Amino acid sequence: MNEINQNSTRAHKANEAFKTRMNRQAILSFGVCVHCGMCTESCHYYLATKDPKMAPAYKADRVRKLYKKYFDWTGKLLPKWVGGGELENEEDLKELMDITFGSCTMCRRCSFNCPMGVDKALLMRTGRSILYEQGIAPQGVIDVAKDQWETGNQMGVSEEEYLETIEWLNEELQMELDDPIAEIPMDKPNCNIVYAVNPREIKYAPQSLLAAAKIFYAAGESWTMSSKGWDNTNFGLFSGDNKLGAHMGNLVFDSVERLNGKMLVTSECGHGYRATAWESPNWTGRDLKFPIFNFLEIMVDYVKSGRIKLDPSLNPFKVTYHDPCNLGRSGGITEEPRYLLKQSVSMFQEMYPNRADNYCCTGGGGAMSMSEYSKRRLETAVVKANQLKETEANIVATACHNCVDGLTDLIKHYKLKMKVKLVGELVADALIIDKKFITPTFKAPEIEEKLILMVDDEVDILTYLSTLFNDNGFNTYTATNYENAMEFLTTQKPDLITLDLAMPGKNGLSIYKELKTNEEYKDIPVIFVTGVNPDNPGQLDHRKFIYEHSLPKPEGYIEKPVEKELLLKIVRKCVEVKVDNLN
Amino acid sequence: MPLFEWEEVKIMVDEDGFMENPEEWNERVALALASTEDISELTEDHWKIINYLRDYFKQYGIAPMIRKLCKETGYSLKQIYELFPSGPAKGACKVAGLAKPTGCV
Repeated sequence: MNEINQNSTRAHKANEAFKTRMNRQAILSFGVCVHCGMCTESCHYYLATKDPKMAPAYKADRVRKLYKKYFDWTGKLLPKWVGGGELENEEDLKELMDITFGSCTMCRRCSFNCPMGVDKALLMRTGRSILYEQGIAPQGVIDVAKDQWETGNQMGVSEEEYLETIEWLNEELQMELDDPIAEIPMDKPNCNIVYAVNPREIKYAPQSLLAAAKIFYAAGESWTMSSKGWDNTNFGLFSGDNKLGAHMGNLVFDSVERLNGKMLVTSECGHGYRATAWESPNWTGRDLKFPIFNFLEIMVDYVKSGRIKLDPSLNPFKVTYHDPCNLGRSGGITEEPRYLLKQSVSMFQEMYPNRADNYCCTGGGGAMSMSEYSKRRLETAVVKANQLKETEANIVATACHNCVDGLTDLIKHYKLKMKVKLVGELVADALIIDKKFITPTFKAPEIEEKLILMVDDEVDILTYLSTLFNDNGFNTYTATNYENAMEFLTTQKPDLITLDLAMPGKNGLSIYKELKTNEEYKDIPVIFVTGVNPDNPGQLDHRKFIYEHSLPKPEGYIEKPVEKELLLKIVRKCVEVKVDNLN
Repeated sequence: MPLFEWEEVKIMVDEDGFMENPEEWNERVALALASTEDISELTEDHWKIINYLRDYFKQYGIAPMIRKLCKETGYSLKQIYELFPSGPAKGACKVAGLAKPTGCV
């Protein structure tokens, strides 16, 4: 009986906590969902299981019911009418934990596919926060939060252990660079950069910190690490606890101010960057006098300004890039890693989908610390595994420690032949530190963004296609008729042409004939994108036309309405076969 | 909590394959756990690392820092990754029967 009372007390407290969580963003995201279902196919949990309960809108509704009950005016009177409800017992709390912690990595891919702009990760975090306040969360999250509160870092590393590790790394660094003065500076005041890391780099995997130290060394940077407040990660983001968020933010910000650094740079950790650069300024309420950058941005600056030189032949691998959700989707850092990889590996292979549309590593939102849900995590990772497999790369590069672990886990589980590396590690391996010894012998083929010329008389279709192609990393040019298309071709040679067949004026097949009989244009792949109208007897039969004029077959054919995944597949096949031939 | 079986070995592991009851560890268990880590044979080098991890864990209840592991056993970071492809945290600690390390690993 006591237990039941206690349970209902916790549920009651969680309900009460919810009432204090509203702000503008939350109200918007709780209020505007129209249940259109656009998010369903964007979620890797749904795609892998096809379970309607894994649809983001369904999951969000488990939290949204509280909003409907307390804040929606109809819901206040007739909660059931609008799906409103309260948390009533331990079962409800358990279900909410399973959904908010165990069925969502807060990767926000669904938000990007939501026409209303609902930030479902924010809703999940709100759900997590009211549970966490009652002590309900996966044990791993509770343990890490405790370590961050008590020791200032998520792995409970003592200051002594931390400093000893840096000393040990200095020895390694001096040996590798053959320079007795190379070091990781500690507590050096007035530096240009104060560098904060993920404790994983100190406790288990220091390769990335060594790589960063080498890059700073090669660039002649004035930088330092701090003996206190050196952890850029923040489990406040995952647990929904803004107080922990502010605590960790304050520790790092204090170190920059104490050392009078000009800027704060976070190492390659996705959520660490997001928490430090975007969330902590709000959680702490501080007016910061220094800017915050991600290490990727700093490296790009070094390469562009010539402060470091890279030789891509030193990484003779086919490398693809996985966009971490907190850097790509939430941080807008998508081109920097690609720029760096194209300069430091012999072959860069894009992954599809990518950038803001990439799939989660499946370890986001703190999922790597929640063993309870590892089985489900690995089941849903089939989506990511297939995506990786298609790249046929030897190495998947990423810029987030958490992604490294998530990807490594699923690569092992699905027996893929791939290694995971951080961008900085590949850049460090490509560094030319002493030109006497290393001369660049091989220049990686510059893989520019491919250019697609789209010819169609319907402007709507052109807009749709160019958005689709741009989102997937292609440059585009549109032409609404024969004249425009030919005029463009005299100025630039596209890598691919998509051609509508039924157009007023000179139709698509005549254009096709002209292209394929012209020496200059005949090698450009062409995809027919056309509507099928059985009622229109005047419609040209393209097969007959091609046969009668002895023309080669087009590289692809797709009917309207366009199935976007299929179209992208054909497009990639056309343009990337060419890239492979170069190598 | 799944039951993991390998030859005659039967142990409870967590969803990540780490031992639930580290006190049940023995050398046969190590071989069983190694089989999940793409390690076909446990050599003398492996045992040196495993034994160090176990001693440290018995004494302090946590996994040692990578610095300690390298310094005390004499193996470089690279060698440790060669011996345990999943790395010190998820590979070596698992085979040595330690609990899953906490945090972003």
